Amino acid sequence: MNRRRWLLKMMFQALAHRGGRTVLLLAVLAMASSLATALWIVSLSMERRIAEEVRKYGANLVVVPQAARLDVGSGGLNFGSIAEPSYLGQSEVERALSTSGITSERSLHLRGALRYQNADLPAEGVDFAEIRRLFPWWQVKGAWPAAGEAVLGGDLATRLKLKPGDRIELAGTAGPIPLRISGTVSTGGEEDGLLFMALPELQQALGLTGQLSQVRLMVTASGDSLKSAAQSLQRQLPSAKVNEVRQTAHTSEGLLAKVKLLMMLVTAVVLVSAGSSVTGTMSTTVLERSKEIGLMKAIGGTRLEVLLIFCAEAALLGGAGGVAGYLLGSGIAHFITRTVFAASAEFIPWMGAVSLAVSLFLALLGSVGPMVSVFKLDPVRSLRGE
Amino acid sequence: MAVATIETSGLTRSYGEICALKPIDLSVPEGEWLSVMGHSGSGKSTLMNLVGGLDRPTAGALVVGGQDLSTLTEDGLARFRREYVGIIFQQHHLVPYLSALENVMLSQYFHSVPDEAEARHALERVGLGHRLKNRPGELSGGEQQRVCIARAIINSPKLLLGDEPTGNLDHKSTLMVMELLKELRAEERFTVVMVTHNEEVAAWGDRTIYLTDGVLVREERTRS
Repeated sequence: MNRRRWLLKMMFQALAHRGGRTVLLLAVLAMASSLATALWIVSLSMERRIAEEVRKYGANLVVVPQAARLDVGSGGLNFGSIAEPSYLGQSEVERALSTSGITSERSLHLRGALRYQNADLPAEGVDFAEIRRLFPWWQVKGAWPAAGEAVLGGDLATRLKLKPGDRIELAGTAGPIPLRISGTVSTGGEEDGLLFMALPELQQALGLTGQLSQVRLMVTASGDSLKSAAQSLQRQLPSAKVNEVRQTAHTSEGLLAKVKLLMMLVTAVVLVSAGSSVTGTMSTTVLERSKEIGLMKAIGGTRLEVLLIFCAEAALLGGAGGVAGYLLGSGIAHFITRTVFAASAEFIPWMGAVSLAVSLFLALLGSVGPMVSVFKLDPVRSLRGE
Repeated sequence: MAVATIETSGLTRSYGEICALKPIDLSVPEGEWLSVMGHSGSGKSTLMNLVGGLDRPTAGALVVGGQDLSTLTEDGLARFRREYVGIIFQQHHLVPYLSALENVMLSQYFHSVPDEAEARHALERVGLGHRLKNRPGELSGGEQQRVCIARAIINSPKLLLGDEPTGNLDHKSTLMVMELLKELRAEERFTVVMVTHNEEVAAWGDRTIYLTDGVLVREERTRS
């Protein structure tokens, strides 16, 4: 029989012989690695979930013309002076976005004034499909507009005494624009005082084809990566100003960092406790098996060969604990994410390697002290039972 | 004259203030069966441990099989033991979770490669061909000692050491074990050093030395 196979067989028999202690060690290792796995998976799921939640707050990058000097805030609009209009070239923006390699969702905006009943009416041209995707908090009474239709801000509709289904005629620089009001929108922000219509229709009405006042981007990034995305885009658009909308993301990131820290501390405490438990159990095992160790040395086993047998046993336990820990940890993570976040945990195959590494690390680290005893054990004294 | 397997000169072993073995000059020719007798604490086990490379002398020269054991490292001694020595213990020291066959194969594992057929043959030679799969707990004292003997001879040692090998056995089992050792020695032609305090067991050897308080006080040839 091959030496390795024989050793493996002997180790299995040794572990089976000390059934209770083996089960205890396995349980400790599996629990510790499962907790580390579960918390890690939960942490990743939480990160993903929070990123999804943050997306609901809208854009995290806003691009405006350099000269417009517009203030930007979360969910709010602040376009600056209409008296000194400045615009972004739509094609220039499109090109910059594709060459910068930034993964994002976007909405293009053009702000301008149309005449209605001898007064200026603030109007904004948008792509309603983009608006629905990026600004899910928009509550539209009536229907989302089709071609030749518009949505009125709630306050504006009240002031103008207009309601869904009404038809109005606005005047732009390019002539009259007949529109049907398909619905009203209420956001609690300045959108309530604006008229929203299709971007190409407003561009045409204002004679600003291919021009934009603002681009809002929901970049799939956070923290430093958001900053570098902003810098990259800024390089591509030197005539524009790229602003980060970080308030919401910053708060979420701060909260996430604290929760992660808490999880890391809990994991560390569990790992230290588990390590102590492994050390205790392994020490007892070595003490119980001192005659066996003495015998192995007496019949010709070198210190290293005997040590390797015990290390291999610890590694075998660590491996089994790691596999069990991964399965258990994935289950726990699934339960936590479903209960707390009402979402399902991700299946992360590489977490198996993490669980295995944690369990092996614990099993081997916890065995260092007992292994030193194995190494030093004098065969004559141990066979005498001293 | 036969080549000496064991040659000691002024061999001494002390444990702090206590001198367990006072300077001993001893020569054991190849193939001899030497019995070592003495009361508890006389130094006979100390002598056996030194000769078997399980312990190191405090002073003196110790050459076994042409090797100066005092110059070997810990691992060098371990390699010497597996290549050169077979040991039979009074307490058997069988691994409880291994079968009789596996206990014998354990010795092969440290020597070279476990070979089931050879191990089975060794157990058959000691009359345990029908107890291969039994664990030590399922064997009588005499059977356990025979497993211990099979384990000691499996690697064809040049030197067989017995530390009170019949100390825990009844008279019938003792005779059986001694008869077995005699047969094996005739076949394998190894040198035997057997520690005992039983005159009857010592008489199976070619020569007996007597130790008292670590001093070799007497020796007599038991066979011609």
